[in-house]
Amino acid sequence: MNIDQEELRNIVADVLKEMDLGGEEAPAQVSAASRTTVSAASAGRTESASGQLILTEEGEAKSGTAVDEVVLGITPAFGIYQTSTIIGIPHADVIKEIMAGIEEEGMKCRVVRVYRTADVSFVGHDAAVLSGSGVGIGIQSKGTTVIHQKDLPPLSNLELFSQAPLIDLPTYRQLGKNAAKYAKGESPNPVPVRNDQMARPKYQAIAALLHIKEAEHQDVKKKPQAVRVEFK
Amino acid sequence: MKIIAGIDIGNATTETAVAGTEYGKVEFLASGIASTTGIKGTSDNIKGVFNSLAKALKAAGLTEKDLDEIRINEAAPVIGDVAMETITETIITESTMIGHNPSTPGGLGVVSGITVLLSDIAKAEQGTAHVVVVPDDISFEDAADAINSFAEMMDIKAAIVQSDDGVLIDNRLNKPIPIVDEVSLIDKVPLGMMCAVEVAAPGGVVEVLSNPYGIATMFGLDPEETRQIVPIARALIGNRSAVVIKTPEGDVKERRIPAGIIEISGSRNKVTVDVDEGSDKIMQAIDLAGDMQDASGESGTNAGGMLDKVKLVMAQLTGQSIREIKIQDILAVDTFTPQKVRGGLANEYSEENAVGIAAMVKADKLQMEKIAEELTEKIGVPVKVGGVEADMAIRGALTTPGTDKPLAIIDMGAGSTDASIITDDRRITSIHLAGAGNMVTLLIKSELGLRDFETAEDIKKYPLAKVESLFHIRHEDGTVQFFDKPLDSKLFARVVILKDGNMIPLEGEHNSIEKIRLVRKNAKQKVFVTNALRALSRVSPTGNVRDIPFVVLVGGSALDFEVPQLVTDGLSQYKIVSGRANVRGAEGPRNAVATGLVLAMSEEDGK
Repeated sequence: MNIDQEELRNIVADVLKEMDLGGEEAPAQVSAASRTTVSAASAGRTESASGQLILTEEGEAKSGTAVDEVVLGITPAFGIYQTSTIIGIPHADVIKEIMAGIEEEGMKCRVVRVYRTADVSFVGHDAAVLSGSGVGIGIQSKGTTVIHQKDLPPLSNLELFSQAPLIDLPTYRQLGKNAAKYAKGESPNPVPVRNDQMARPKYQAIAALLHIKEAEHQDVKKKPQAVRVEFK
Repeated sequence: MKIIAGIDIGNATTETAVAGTEYGKVEFLASGIASTTGIKGTSDNIKGVFNSLAKALKAAGLTEKDLDEIRINEAAPVIGDVAMETITETIITESTMIGHNPSTPGGLGVVSGITVLLSDIAKAEQGTAHVVVVPDDISFEDAADAINSFAEMMDIKAAIVQSDDGVLIDNRLNKPIPIVDEVSLIDKVPLGMMCAVEVAAPGGVVEVLSNPYGIATMFGLDPEETRQIVPIARALIGNRSAVVIKTPEGDVKERRIPAGIIEISGSRNKVTVDVDEGSDKIMQAIDLAGDMQDASGESGTNAGGMLDKVKLVMAQLTGQSIREIKIQDILAVDTFTPQKVRGGLANEYSEENAVGIAAMVKADKLQMEKIAEELTEKIGVPVKVGGVEADMAIRGALTTPGTDKPLAIIDMGAGSTDASIITDDRRITSIHLAGAGNMVTLLIKSELGLRDFETAEDIKKYPLAKVESLFHIRHEDGTVQFFDKPLDSKLFARVVILKDGNMIPLEGEHNSIEKIRLVRKNAKQKVFVTNALRALSRVSPTGNVRDIPFVVLVGGSALDFEVPQLVTDGLSQYKIVSGRANVRGAEGPRNAVATGLVLAMSEEDGK
C-alpha cells in the first residue's frame, strides 16, 4: 500500500487531535494514578465500579504445583502507573472479570507481576511457566491479552487478543473461562476476536505511547513478584 | 508378448492393471490408481482414465504406444444418492422446563419453591419456599449478597440465573443452594409458579426430575397428571441440572413431523409406508414388495421431494428423462440430529429422530461404449468394453491367496454396496444395493451436527486422538504417543483427526473423542453390516446367508481401518469366513476389477 506523505501527516495530525480531546478524560486518570502516592511502588490503588483495586506485592513469585491454578501475569505498570485500558476500562474491572471467568470453571487464579519485560507474549509465557497447570494469561496495562502455555515458544500462544481497543469486559470474562478450560484439559472454542481495520490507525499512536510509558517501569533484573489482589 | 491394460472406473477411483500376456499366460507389470473424474459412467471419466493409465504405464516403464489393447469395465450402471429427513420435534409450551446442560451449574441437591424475581424477594410472602430468578443486570456479587442477607428472613431454596455465574454465586453463599445458570431467556420464566430445581454432582446426572414419579412426588401430582409429565422427564434424562415449572397448561410435546408416504412398486406387491414410522417399517415394506421396480414419494411432502431430487440428479447426469429413471433400491437407517427445541428458555438442543435414506438408480448402459469410442480415438489403441463388472471383480478377487469357489464378494464403494457370488459350476449372480460410504458420512455429519461434509468424511476415514500436552497425544484406544518437538499451538487440548501424518483439529467442545468414536462406529455398523447381510441373503443360492462359505471384501470402503473388522465380526455370527481381499497377493482390496479384466483378456487370447 502506498500512502503519500501528505496523507500520512494528516493521519498523524488527526490522531494527535483525538489524543488532545481524550486528554480531558483518559489521560487525566493516568496522571491521577501517577500522582497516587505509590508507597514503595508495591501497592497500587484505583477506583472503579468494582471498588478500589489494591495490588500488594508479597515477594518473589514461586513456581506453582497446584494443577487447578491459572497464573495471571500483569505488566510492570498495571494498576499502578496506568489504571485503565486503552479504552478506559478500569483495571479493577478487567482483573475481576478474568478472575471470575477462572473461578466459574472451578479453578483458582494466582496473580504475578512480571518486571523483566512489558511484552505481552513474554509476560504470558512467564506466567504459564510459573503456573501449576502450565496455563497462564498475560495482560498489558493497555488491555492487550494472551493465553499462554508453558511448552510453547514465547512468541506463540493459545489465544491472542491483540487489538486492545476491541476487548470489552465480557471478552475478559470469556478469556478467563477459556484459560481455565485449557488448564482442565478441555477443548474450548476460541473466544471470538473482533477485528476492526480502523482500530489500528485510530489507536496506534496512543498505543505506542502507552507501551513506552509502561516500558519505563521495566526492571530486567527483577524476578516476577507474587501479588495479592483485593477489591475495597 | 502382448501388453494389455484393464481399467476399472469406480465411483471414487479409477484403477488400472497393466500386464504382459503370451499363450494365455499373464505377467502383471504394474497397477495405477487415480481419482475418478466426474460421475461414474459419464464421458467426464476420460481424464481420470488417462491419469490412472499414465501412472501404471510409468510404473511399468512403458508408454501408450507399447499398449496392444485396453479393456474397460462394463460399469454396473447404478448410482446412489443420500438424503435425510428429521421426523420428530420437541416443543415446550408455557416454559415448563429448562433442560439445557450448563457446563458449570452451582450447588447441589433437589428442591422446590415458588419462582420470584430476586429484586422482589423483599415483598415475597414469608414462610413459603422460594426459587429466586436472577437476570443478568445483577452482578454475581450483588446476587450473592442479596441471597445471603435474605437467607435469614426468607426460605430461599434455589436460584435460576441468566449469566454464567452459577459457581461464582455458589462460592459466595453462606448456605449453598442449587443454582442453574446460563438461562438466556430468563424473562420468560413464569413467576409465582411452583418450581423444582435439581443439580447433580460433577459427573452425575439428575435423578429425581428425570423420573416421572420423582416429579410427581415433588409436585404432588395425581396419576393422570403424572402420565402427562412423562415427556418432560424424558427430555431431562442425561442432564446435570434441570428446572421444572408447574404451570396450568404447560407441557412438553414430542411431535412427529409428517414426512410423507413412500410408495414402493415391487415384483410382488405395491406397498406404501409412512417415512415417519422409522427405518424398520420402511425396510419391512421393501422386503414385502419384492424386487423393487420403482419408488416414489407422495408429491408435496418431504419424502416426495427427497426421492424426486435423487431422480432429478440422475436424469441430469445421464441425459435421460426423469420418467425413465427408476429407483432400484432404498436403504433406510434410523439416525438422530441435534435440533433447537422450540419454546426453550436456554437454547436447549434435543436429539431429534431422523431417517436417513440412500436410494439407488439404474442408469443408461450405453455410456460405457461411448467412453470406449472416445478413448480409442484419443489414444490410438483398441479399447473394448469387457465383461460384467461383478464377473470381473470375482475373477480378480479369486487371486486372493486362500480363496476358492464357491465365493462371494462384497464390494463396498462410496455410492452402492454390490455383492456377487460364483458357484462351483461358475455361475455368477450379482446384486446392487443402495447405501455405502456416502451414507456413513451423512450419518456422521447429522449425528455430530457438523457443518460440512468434508469434516464428516475425514472422521469416517481416519482415527482420532486427543492432544493432551504439546509433547504427547492420546490415541482413541488409549495409547500415548510422545513427540520430541512441540506440536502446533492450534492443536493444544483439541481432538484431532490423524490424516496421513497430519493432525486436523476438530471444532466444537461438545463432541468428545468417545462420542465421535461411538457415532462413527455405529454409522458404519448401521450401513455396512446391515447391507452385507442384506446383499448376501439376496445372492445366496438358497436364500440363506449361512450357505456361503467364503466372503471377501473389495472396494474402497474395504480399505477403511475398521469397516472390514466390523463386517467380519458381524458375519462370523453366521459362520462365514470373511475378510479383506488381497488381489494378486499384493494389491489389497483394490484393483480386483482391473485385474479381472486383464485375466479375461488373456484367457480369450490363449484359446
